[in-house]
Amino acid sequence: MSIFVTGIGIVSAIGLSAEKNLRSLRSLTTGIRRSGKHDLMIGEIDLSDQELIEQLQLATEDYSRTSLLGLLAAREAWAKNKIDKRIRTGIISATSVGGMDRTERYYFESQTSNRTDSRSLMTHDNGRTTERIAVELGISGYIGTISTACSSGANAIMHAARLIEANKLDRVIAGGSEPLATFDIKGFSSLSIYDDGICKPFDEKRMGLNLGEGAAFLMLENEHSISISGNQPICSLAGWHNATDAFHQTASSPDGKGAALAMIHALAKARIPPQAIDYINAHGTGTGNNDLSESMALKTVFGKNIPPFSSTKGFTGHTLAAAGAIEAVYCVQAIQSQAMPPNLNFTMPMKETGMQPETEFHSANLEYVLSNSFGFGGNCTCLIFCKAS
Amino acid sequence: MRELAPSSQLITPDYSEFIPPMDRRRMSDVQKMSIACSMDCLDQAAVGQPDAIIVGTSMGCCVNTRNFLDKILDANGGPLSPTSFIVSTHNTIAGQIALLLKNHSYNMTHTQNSLSFEQSLIDGMLWIKSGFNHVLVGGADEEEESLYNTRSRLNREHLHLACGASFFVLSNENHHSEAVKVVDVGSFGLIDGITDCISHFLASNDLDAKSIDLVLFAQNDQQKMDQLKSIFPRERLCDYQKLTGTYYTNSAFAMHYGVDMLLNNTKTTEAEVRYILVCNNVIPENLGLILLSIK
Amino acid sequence: MQDLKYELKKQIIAELKLEEIKPEDIQDDAPLIGDGLGLDSIDALELVVLLEKYYGVRIMDEEVGRKVLASVNTMAEFILEQKAKTT
Repeated sequence: MSIFVTGIGIVSAIGLSAEKNLRSLRSLTTGIRRSGKHDLMIGEIDLSDQELIEQLQLATEDYSRTSLLGLLAAREAWAKNKIDKRIRTGIISATSVGGMDRTERYYFESQTSNRTDSRSLMTHDNGRTTERIAVELGISGYIGTISTACSSGANAIMHAARLIEANKLDRVIAGGSEPLATFDIKGFSSLSIYDDGICKPFDEKRMGLNLGEGAAFLMLENEHSISISGNQPICSLAGWHNATDAFHQTASSPDGKGAALAMIHALAKARIPPQAIDYINAHGTGTGNNDLSESMALKTVFGKNIPPFSSTKGFTGHTLAAAGAIEAVYCVQAIQSQAMPPNLNFTMPMKETGMQPETEFHSANLEYVLSNSFGFGGNCTCLIFCKAS
Repeated sequence: MRELAPSSQLITPDYSEFIPPMDRRRMSDVQKMSIACSMDCLDQAAVGQPDAIIVGTSMGCCVNTRNFLDKILDANGGPLSPTSFIVSTHNTIAGQIALLLKNHSYNMTHTQNSLSFEQSLIDGMLWIKSGFNHVLVGGADEEEESLYNTRSRLNREHLHLACGASFFVLSNENHHSEAVKVVDVGSFGLIDGITDCISHFLASNDLDAKSIDLVLFAQNDQQKMDQLKSIFPRERLCDYQKLTGTYYTNSAFAMHYGVDMLLNNTKTTEAEVRYILVCNNVIPENLGLILLSIK
Repeated sequence: MQDLKYELKKQIIAELKLEEIKPEDIQDDAPLIGDGLGLDSIDALELVVLLEKYYGVRIMDEEVGRKVLASVNTMAEFILEQKAKTT
């Protein structure tokens, strides 16, 4: 059975819509800038929570930034669709920190003041952030949230596909959302893992990552749903898999075992050989550990014939739980526009591999596109998209 | 089984039996509970490597999360200790289990508050149906009110907040020895009433309310309680929150309790209890249903 | 120097939560990361924080870190070296 992608929605440091994101990718325009507030290079979205609430025309302010960003992206992906009893509809989102943006403000303020409102904690739990989006879209029933750190968004999309394939649901809006929270900013700082400049994925001189914030969703439908909705498929989700590295709590194994397993099984799910892949959107965070480990995994799976690949984190920063969903949207757009987004800031290949990513936005014949996302806990997910036939 | 007293504390095993000291030192309660349950469970099922590891947790590693927030405050711009941060993600639990087992298979964490365990079960059952032999599935939460404000969320000031972990090995028909089946699982978010939902769920399994011998329920809302009583006779209703206290994955305990009841029945004379329904309405607008039966 | 090393061992045990280890169990010249005490990369970061928190000395890069965190001996030497520079 086919799982069709019929809608995409995205907000990131390089645009508040799918079209604006694509324009930035085309023009090689990064969204990573020095943040005055955090004194770091970060992919920030230049809208305050209040501005998001106004833009979304919401009646209350009782939303975490996670839900606000998520809703902006989800509405774009949902577009003109309607709730219809004949179409079993679900929503699956992903987040690492849930409503932490509000929670940490409350927590920090409550240490020195009695005037804090503990009701702001009620937007903290991960599931709640998804429920706030579901309410606005009119979805009830299967509402789910996945939290596997930086592979979450990809896992949400995979889980949605599995539910559709098993005939539990006909359509699912699936993706992820992550705000910039002090919690994460300080957390990654404690790991000494930042690049002082803009990250350099797969470069010999890479120094680390930049954080980013954002959200993205795909509308996935089966044939029954499309026959009622009348939506045109943009492409299909052909393969998926999740595997575990089981090497360390945060670091990836030197040989990228978990990553390789995820790719091998995703290819098997899609029933294609490795050489069928026309472009890879890599996890490529710009850290010493990830980029080497992922490169080894690519060599294991593709041998000497590694397809054209790039990391788009030089545009958006690493958006943690949203990354897999944001990069899924870029893969869909790659198929749609028959062009590959480039890897920014690359000048020198890693001495261990000699691998060179794509550095220009250029046309290509793209039938199968693969996206990797890897998270803390050794969680590795691979998605494969293909041109709709 | 005796009801939980308000002063009840978590009962824990000697974790050193399950977790080496170098790994144990970074773990919070929810991680230790989950690993102990998982290892014991896999041992009972004689399964060395499950084909998937799936955990449902509403709050995740919230004690480590709060610890890191405290560290940010204490550091006041100075050097910051990373450990609480790296073990604060919700999937640390499932990830730790895989790390200790050196397991490379599918590893997932569902965090949909009171439906986290049901969604983990649904996930696991999809894998069994697609051909996996054994899947490890569990629900776990630790207690941390300062970040979650559960009492306000459930609009109940006098809740007995608790914590716990329950894990299961689901096996396909060719690889089982036990006599209890997970017939079906439902996860229904943001619903108005529960009666239609329960009726349709049972009907889709060719059953009705009369078929259910025992309903293990969690209910914090009077209106929904009345709806439950309108479908099921009072004598078949058992409030499992009196045994578990309130935490969002306590339906996993209820499933364990239900499985034990069904197993004990088959070991005595005829099966008096054939179908058990776990009806998790801990959060009034979310309904989780787990249907168990004798095989 | 011996007092400093003993203090360091106690702090290492406390900060890294090495419950079943006593200061006497840690040899001055035993490797800390990987072999010997079996600490990992996260522990290494914690040791960097420990040095700054308790002794006000900073490790500025990975290369220096690898050398300084090799053993209790090298940590103690680094502390004394840095203190001498500032007095």
